Amino acid sequence: MGIMDKKIGLFIPCYINAVYPEVGVASYKLLKSLGLDVDYPLDQTCCGQPMANAGFENESVKLAVRFDSLFEKYDYIVGPSASCVVFVRDNYGRLLKEEKHRCQSEGKIYDICEFIHDVVKPTSLKASFPHKVSIQNSCHGVRLMHLSAPSELNIPYYNKLRDLLSLVQGIEIVEPERPDECCGFGGMFGVEEHAVSGQMGRDKIRRHMETGAEYIVGADSSCLMHQNGIIARDKLPIKTKHIVEILASGL
Amino acid sequence: MSSREMILANIRKNTQTKYEKPDYRSMEEHAIRYPDLIGQFTEVMKQMGGQAVLLQEGDDLNALIRSIYPEAKRIAATVAEVDTAFGKQTVDCGAFHPDTVPAPGDLDGTDLAIVQGRLGVCENGAVWIEQEVEQRAVYFIAEALVILLDRKTLKNNMHEAYPLIETGKYGFGVFISGPSKTADIEQALVMGAHGARSVTVILV
Amino acid sequence: MSTKHSEAAERFQKNKSLAAWHDETLWMVRAKRDKISRQLPEWEELRQMAHDIKMYSNSHLDELLTEFERNATANGAVVHWAKDAGEYCQMVHRILNDHGVRHFIKSKSMLAEECGLNEYLEEKGIEVVESDLGERILQLMHKKPSHIVLPAIHIKKEEIGELFVREMGTEPGNNDQTYLTHAARKNLRHKFIEAEAAMTGANFAVASTGECVVCTNEGNADMGTSQPKLQITAFGLEKIVPDREALGVFTRLLARSGTGQPITTYTSHYRKPRPGGELHIIIVDNGRSEILADRDHVQTLNCLRCGACMNTCPVYRRSGGYSYTYFIPGPIGINLGMLKAPEVYYDNVSACSLCHSCQNVCPAKVDLADQIYNWRQRLQQYGVASKSKKFMSDGMKQLMEHPALFNAALGVAPLANHLPRFMMYNGLNDWGKEHEMPRFAQESFNEMWKKNKIQK
Repeated sequence: MGIMDKKIGLFIPCYINAVYPEVGVASYKLLKSLGLDVDYPLDQTCCGQPMANAGFENESVKLAVRFDSLFEKYDYIVGPSASCVVFVRDNYGRLLKEEKHRCQSEGKIYDICEFIHDVVKPTSLKASFPHKVSIQNSCHGVRLMHLSAPSELNIPYYNKLRDLLSLVQGIEIVEPERPDECCGFGGMFGVEEHAVSGQMGRDKIRRHMETGAEYIVGADSSCLMHQNGIIARDKLPIKTKHIVEILASGL
Repeated sequence: MSSREMILANIRKNTQTKYEKPDYRSMEEHAIRYPDLIGQFTEVMKQMGGQAVLLQEGDDLNALIRSIYPEAKRIAATVAEVDTAFGKQTVDCGAFHPDTVPAPGDLDGTDLAIVQGRLGVCENGAVWIEQEVEQRAVYFIAEALVILLDRKTLKNNMHEAYPLIETGKYGFGVFISGPSKTADIEQALVMGAHGARSVTVILV
Repeated sequence: MSTKHSEAAERFQKNKSLAAWHDETLWMVRAKRDKISRQLPEWEELRQMAHDIKMYSNSHLDELLTEFERNATANGAVVHWAKDAGEYCQMVHRILNDHGVRHFIKSKSMLAEECGLNEYLEEKGIEVVESDLGERILQLMHKKPSHIVLPAIHIKKEEIGELFVREMGTEPGNNDQTYLTHAARKNLRHKFIEAEAAMTGANFAVASTGECVVCTNEGNADMGTSQPKLQITAFGLEKIVPDREALGVFTRLLARSGTGQPITTYTSHYRKPRPGGELHIIIVDNGRSEILADRDHVQTLNCLRCGACMNTCPVYRRSGGYSYTYFIPGPIGINLGMLKAPEVYYDNVSACSLCHSCQNVCPAKVDLADQIYNWRQRLQQYGVASKSKKFMSDGMKQLMEHPALFNAALGVAPLANHLPRFMMYNGLNDWGKEHEMPRFAQESFNEMWKKNKIQK
């Protein structure tokens, strides 16, 4: 059986559902355009990461149970958020260790970029985006999901987001100085430590702007939401965009 | 129960999983090596703020030292004679032996100390010095340090160096890599915090 | 919603130029570390080896410490064991007192800082002189270190210049770093010579040889121990390593990770007392043997105290060492503080965005961020979890566990275009200090799917 015969469940994280539904729409279109069998199990809410990172992992357990059963019938779970996906991958095994019936979400969940890059492996896309973009390498995408080589490690450079963006017509791709320094979102960290978080965000946006890019592009809407909030507050001349919106731009 | 017994008992009670000692050999085999040891050592000494000078055939060691530190008046030497690639040379430079002073503090004001290194490490410019005089202070208190080092003792990395070092009868040895330094004031690098302000390794 | 850390961090951020300088300067150290680590193709393997050696040594402490004791004693040293800070301070004092020491010179020791040694000795009338330049500056200013390797990183040269005019008679207005450093060199020279005893910490204690290894750039440990004949060396018991081959691994990592140098200028191996002198070695527990029992946090004992996790931490760089309530700041300090007294030091647990950069720079691969995540889970059990954060989390949980409620909330949100009330409570007002609020979509993804607007 090839990948075209597999059933893919689309995972739409809560804030994408509420604030950035267009990212969900682009994700669906992109996967469909690659000839995949994609479905969206209705009434998804949240994977539980915000509570867990804030120190209330026990409040995530019911959500994990619900998530696990929602995606039971799928071969793959694919979602447009590296951070949420890797939370499921790295923590559900532990959170659900008491559960008798399991569908093993953690073993079959992928970030959409990772999935397209590593599993589907298209050699071309219909997309075109004649703009200069600066890659937002998110912490969890880089250091937990290995979407790119972390700047701290002495390993050869790679960047799956750059690879995918390279398939887009007319695009110019750059990365900022300090290419994977945290932008300061961090869930409730951004609330509790707002002064440091805000400064981290401002520093990050400045470095993106210094590349001359028109767009900050990343695989995590959470980082982009944080930076967007600052861009709007400070009226800065740069925009954010989720990478799937660019990869799906011709669809 | 003594504190010693209490601590050891607590360690035994609290230690959970025991881990095996790793096999160092894989690391030692994969550690960096340099095709040109003298070239690499000379380069890294510069990075460390010091210098390495290769003794040439016909060079007079004392004249060489004098030419590098022409201002040095009070000179201590722990070594009187050295084997070079071109035969034995005596070290004088009008130097005194550090153990001729009554107290280590009397070595304060030494302009230059000439000492012997046992081996040099090419990855970092460190030279192993085994204490061979009673006044250990001589290695640290002089304004400048000349280390005489047999060019054949250069090692690639610390894994090669460690099995070869000794601390000798005085039970002390030190790797010295370049001059004493600090960046404690606004991260500005300054040579000569407490030890030698200048270090020259002469590869004899 | 705030912690002592977040409040102090906000104050630190008020001085924008100093805060930016602090961030840039420490980032430069991180960048130097990156650059030099890339000169060794075997770097990642070396880190793994350091981790494996520490896992071995910290799970065989009883054997290794007694082996060390045997060898050190045979070398002529006197080995003491101190169960806690109090006993350690008393021991140092007793040794000094027995020898009539009034002037005591120290090289930098985080253990002495941890145990409050200087204050203890000064109360007993002994003059303690710190010989590391950064530590000396702080001692004269009556301040504490804000970084474990770069203790005075938060102090500007102008302040040091003024201090040295008073303390060392330097020219007023001359704040040149070289000039000030050499003034301190001259001033401390006399302190070294007049001291009757010298103390060092230890970066490593070698079981197979009974020697202590001290790494400095200034040479201050060696200046101290080569003047008076009485030497005291104290280390926390996790500093033990099995043999010199292990030193080969650690000395390659320590300075490269900490400051981006290939090795510290001086790596000194103290094995025997000086002729006619005494070498006292104090092995200190002070809570370390208890850490062994905590599987989630036992790896903190692997720390080499290189400071790399501070240099890379985006929060440390932007909040400064004083914003933490434990004497060691940054990722390792957050964890060590919690191990020391969670009910006292829990405020630091907020100082982490879980970016995980610290784990990648750590030369011994300590799982620093995973541990901070774990501490957050434990705050409730210590009864110190933030109530407002819990309120937000509870609210989210209620909403997210009930899709009908969640969908209804999303249905209403775009009308008012603000977040549901529980999210606005307290917390997100702070989010609003830095950001514009995200605008809710007119229709959620879920609604669009239900209405068949997406799938065609």
